[in-house]
Amino acid sequence: MLGSLLELASSITGGISDSVSELSRLVATLPDEIAGKVDRIPADLNEYGYDPWGYSPKAMKRFIIPSAYLYRYYFRCRTTGLENLPQGRMLLIGNHAGQMAFDGAMITAACVLEANPPRLVRGMGEYWLGTLPYMSVLLDRTGSVVGTRQTCVDMLRHGECVMAFPEGVRGMNKVYADAYKLMEFGLGFMRLALETDTPIVPVSVVGSEEQNPGLADLKGVGHLLGMPSFPVTLTFPWLGPLGMLPLPVRYHIEFGKPMRFEGHAEDEDDSIQAKVDQVKAAISAQLARGRAARKSIFF
Amino acid sequence: MRKLLITGIAGGQGRLVAKMAMRARPGSEPWQVVGVDRQKWPSAPDGVVVHQFDMRKRRFEDVFRHERPEAVVHLAFVRHFRADLATRHEVNVEGTKHLLEHCAEYGVRQLVVLSSSYVYGALPTNERYMTEEHPLNASRNFPEMRDLCEVEGLVSAFLWRYPEIATCVIRPVSTLGHSVHSAIGSYMRMAMVPTIMGFNPMMQFIHEEDVAEAMMVALDRKVRGIFNVAGPGAVPLKRALKEMGRQRISIPDPFAHLLIRTLFNLNIYQFPSGAIDFIKYPCTVRDERFRAATGFKPRHSLAEAFATMAISPH
Repeated sequence: MLGSLLELASSITGGISDSVSELSRLVATLPDEIAGKVDRIPADLNEYGYDPWGYSPKAMKRFIIPSAYLYRYYFRCRTTGLENLPQGRMLLIGNHAGQMAFDGAMITAACVLEANPPRLVRGMGEYWLGTLPYMSVLLDRTGSVVGTRQTCVDMLRHGECVMAFPEGVRGMNKVYADAYKLMEFGLGFMRLALETDTPIVPVSVVGSEEQNPGLADLKGVGHLLGMPSFPVTLTFPWLGPLGMLPLPVRYHIEFGKPMRFEGHAEDEDDSIQAKVDQVKAAISAQLARGRAARKSIFF
Repeated sequence: MRKLLITGIAGGQGRLVAKMAMRARPGSEPWQVVGVDRQKWPSAPDGVVVHQFDMRKRRFEDVFRHERPEAVVHLAFVRHFRADLATRHEVNVEGTKHLLEHCAEYGVRQLVVLSSSYVYGALPTNERYMTEEHPLNASRNFPEMRDLCEVEGLVSAFLWRYPEIATCVIRPVSTLGHSVHSAIGSYMRMAMVPTIMGFNPMMQFIHEEDVAEAMMVALDRKVRGIFNVAGPGAVPLKRALKEMGRQRISIPDPFAHLLIRTLFNLNIYQFPSGAIDFIKYPCTVRDERFRAATGFKPRHSLAEAFATMAISPH
């Protein structure tokens, strides 16, 4: 009796220590895996190892490590549809949620870790990010930029993969009662796609809405602090900076089939809006699919 | 022989242009070179006539009257901040205004003006790789740059008013070279170069000989218009300083403004606080228009441009 209990106990602890050592082996090999993937990203580097927008594979190998850990072991992202990514230029258009832009970081990590070949995602940052110390450098070195129209056009013409969230802060800082409701989409991305003849890949992220549910958005306080918004969540600002940590929800990311549109970039708003609505509908459908497929917000 | 007048000929860039202009170039004859400068050029090559006086003097017009240059390269700008603002403004803006009047009156056929990509200003909202259509924002946070923006205004008005004169404005990126005495050149030559903590913008650099070459190409091709000249590429500021073998000191941003403004006001340190934005935010330009118009390509790599800054001539 005692013997069999001991046997059971040792098999459990052995199992745990096996999986712990397996996990630590995986964790330890991640930086090497990342380095291999980053080296395969096609990039137009100069003699000093920077691309024209400041992307540096060397810096990327370091800076993407936290994202990669979050991607694999914290949000345990389940990603589908990466085979849909076209070659050359594309616009990744996604839903934006969760107070902190982990969705952008996870989409970036997915495209580096799991796409074949790995792709560098060019985020279009808010203007104020460029004014923050370290953040502006981090943006540049990992391939993103402060998102101005002409920069976006240049990047697309250069064959880059540009990511944009047309909901902007409207989506990111919405309260939890509006979870998974897509906010109003800006029209700019569609005009850019038409101008540069770029396919649009709708990307849905399920999970981000639950990572840090917003109770309210104190825009006035945000304004005073020079931020576009000031979210109040279950944990922020009550726990200080710790309160910005997301819950370990599970992410489901789906890359949809590329959508191609015809028309002129200068068309009337109505005609652009109709095209934007198609993209929005595609993302909505993917979101519904993703939410139906998950067992709980943590799995 | 066609005559070329170079203002500010005794400066580093002026000497380079003069020497290049005296050589025959593919498809064009050598120029006979005449120069104006307040400084002496003791080792001027034979055949170069240097009129030594201040351009603000009336004798400036006499040069046009007697020499009758066919083309003018205008380099006589105060580009450092050692001079007081009034003098800087007088030389840069008033000097250019008189020059333009003389060009129109004495039958000049071609005019090349050396401006700077700094006229766009360094703003966090800047596009990466601005085209010539981008508004000139430098004076917004950098009043010391107002005069260069005014010069550009004068020259572009002149450009449209006198279509028969091939007027060309060149806006090169940060120019590096043995003879560069611009604000950025002096900044990068400091024993201990201050940078702003947490900021490291992409910067474009060009070798001084390539800037001179760009002006010569503009003359050869008789191009009209305003052109960015971008050089071989961009690297982060701190990497550039490392390549030049400079020691850096990182200063937190709010502190940097206070410190640099104080030192500037005390006349200890010749880097106005408005220039801080240029070491924080990107000010990069694209030069497709110039390449298309002239076929210009920089000959020197970034490494060669950095190498010119390795040994301080001061």
